[in-house]
Amino acid sequence: MSRFVLLRLAGMLPVLFITLVVTFLAIRALPGDPVIVMLGERAADEETAALLRAQYGLDQPLIVQFFDYVVGVFTGDFGLSYRYIGEPVSELIAEGLRISPLLAVAGMVLALPVGAVAGTLAANRRGSNLDFIIMLVMVIGLSVPSFALAVMLMYLLSVQLDVLPVAGWGSFSQAVLPVMVLAIPGAAYTARMTRTLMLEVLQNDFMRTARAKGLSRAVVIWRHGFPNTLVPQFTSAGVMFGALISNAFVVEIVFNIPGLGRLAIDSVFARDYPVTMAVVLLFMALYLLINLLVDVAYAAVDPRIRDQMAGR
Amino acid sequence: MAVQHTLRRVGTGSNLRRALRSRNAMAGGAIVAVMVFLAIFGPWLAPMDFQQTNLLSSWAAPSDAHLLGADRLGRDVLSRLLVGARVSLIIALTVVVLALAIGVLIGMLAGYLGGRVDSWLMRTVDFGLAFPEVVIAIVVASIIGPGLATVIVALTFAWWPGTARLGRSLVLMVRGEMYIDSAIVSGVRVPVIFWRHLLPSIAPALIVRASVGIGYVIMGEATLSFLGLGVQEPMPSWGGMIRDGLPVLRTDPHLAVFASATLALAVIGFNMLGDGLRDLLDPKLKAAA
Repeated sequence: MSRFVLLRLAGMLPVLFITLVVTFLAIRALPGDPVIVMLGERAADEETAALLRAQYGLDQPLIVQFFDYVVGVFTGDFGLSYRYIGEPVSELIAEGLRISPLLAVAGMVLALPVGAVAGTLAANRRGSNLDFIIMLVMVIGLSVPSFALAVMLMYLLSVQLDVLPVAGWGSFSQAVLPVMVLAIPGAAYTARMTRTLMLEVLQNDFMRTARAKGLSRAVVIWRHGFPNTLVPQFTSAGVMFGALISNAFVVEIVFNIPGLGRLAIDSVFARDYPVTMAVVLLFMALYLLINLLVDVAYAAVDPRIRDQMAGR
Repeated sequence: MAVQHTLRRVGTGSNLRRALRSRNAMAGGAIVAVMVFLAIFGPWLAPMDFQQTNLLSSWAAPSDAHLLGADRLGRDVLSRLLVGARVSLIIALTVVVLALAIGVLIGMLAGYLGGRVDSWLMRTVDFGLAFPEVVIAIVVASIIGPGLATVIVALTFAWWPGTARLGRSLVLMVRGEMYIDSAIVSGVRVPVIFWRHLLPSIAPALIVRASVGIGYVIMGEATLSFLGLGVQEPMPSWGGMIRDGLPVLRTDPHLAVFASATLALAVIGFNMLGDGLRDLLDPKLKAAA
C-alpha cells in the first residue's frame, strides 16, 4: 500500500513541474518589463529601478531565477507581488488559503450524502413521480451554470424573500448560499451516479434473497443494496472535485468572498503574475492531491486496482 | 452479454421511462431549434441596435420601450440577449470542431498505431485531463490577455483530451475489421485509411458526442465571460451580462435575472437534446458508460 501511495505521489510531480515550467517561461516571455510597470511614472529613476530589480531577483539570469523559484515553492515562498510592491505572495494568499479549501470541503460534505440519498430513492421508486422530480432536479443541477444558479437563488432568497444576506464573508448565514451553490452540481452528479448503480444492484440475486427472507424494503435497500454503490462512487468524487474547483472561482466572485479564486482572477487583471502562478500551482496541487486520495481510497477497498496501478 | 441484457431491458421494459426520455429529447430539441433560429436571425429580430447606448434609459425597467429593460449604458437587454445567442453558439461550435479535429486525429493515431506511440499519446491525454477548465483559462488569459481567443484556446485545450479518448476507443473497435486489413494488405497509405476507411465508420458516434458536448461548452464560455476572461465589450455575451447585472441585483435585477434564465434554458436544452440523441442513436455508448 505504501508503495502504491509513493508511486502515485511521484506521478503527481511531473504534472506540477510541467505546470510550473510552462507558466514560469510563458510569463517571463511576455513583453514588458515588470519593474517599469511597477514604478509607473517613476520608472525613469534608474537607481530605484535597479534596487527593485535586485529585490525581485530580476537581475539574475533566467535559469537562476527559475531555480530560486522552484526552491522557494518547496518552502512556501512564492516570491513578491508585482501589484503590492514588496509584499510576499505567500502573505497575500494566506487568507484565501483559509477560505477556499473550507468552501470546497463544505460543498463536498453537503453534496455526497444528499446526492446518494436522492439517487437511491429515485432508483428504488423508478418510474414514479418522485423519480421524475429527482431526475428533473438533477438535470437542472447539472445543466445550469453555477453562477446563473447563484444569481437566481440570490434574487429569490436574498432580494425577494430577504432571508439570507446578499454577499460577503464572515458569518454563517453568509456561507449558506455559496456552499449550497457549490453543492448542487455535485449532489446532482452523485444522485445520477447512485441511481444508475442502484438500478444495477437491484437486479442482483442477493437483493431478491434478502427480500424473500422477510427483511423490510428499507433494510434491503439501505443495508444490502446501498453499500454496493459506494466503491464506484470514489472515482466520481475525484471528477466532482475538479468541477468544484471551477465553481469555487465563480462562487467567490458572485458572493464577494476573499478566497483564492477571486485573488487569481483579480491578479490576472492586475497583471500580478507571481500571484496568478502561485494560485494556479496551489489549485493544481490540491486537485491532484484529492485525486490521489480518491485513488488511495479506491485501492484500499479493492486490491485488484492496487496491483494494477502499482504496475504489477 | 451484459450489453445485450441491458439493451433488452431498455428495449422492452419501462415504457414510461422511454417516453420520458424522448419527451426530454423533444423538449431539448425545441429549445435548441429556437436558439439556433434566434442565433441566425436575432440581429434582424432585435428591436434595437445592441450597441446603441442611451444614458437616459440607464437601468430602465422592463417596459414597452425595452421589453426586458436596459443595462447600465441604456442598451436594450432583449437585443443584446439575441445577439448573445449568436456569439455563444459560434464560440461553442468553433470549440467543438477544433477539439474534435485535434482530439480525433490524436486518438485515431494512438488507436491505429498502438504500442509505444499509443502509450505516449495517451499519457499526454491524461496530462491534459489533469487541468480544470478555469485554471487553463487563467493561465491563457495571463499570457495572451482576456478575450475571444482566450475562450477558444482554453476550452479547446480542456476538451480535446476527452475526444481523443473517444476517438481511440472507437478506432480500437473497428481496427480488427476485415475491410481495414484488406486496405492495409492492398497497400493503401495510412492517411487514406484514416480518411476513407476509419473516419466514415466512427463519424456517427463522434457527431453524437459532439452534440452532447455543446451544452457544456456554452456553459464554459459563459463562465469565462462571467469571470471577465472571455468575450469582451461591446460584444454581448450572456456570462458578461450576468456579471454586469450582479452589482445592482437588489435595485435593478432584470439584467442579471433575464440573462441567467436565458443561459440556463439554453444549456438545459442542449443537454436534454444531447442525452436524448445519445440514448436514441447510440445505445452501445450508453450501455458502456
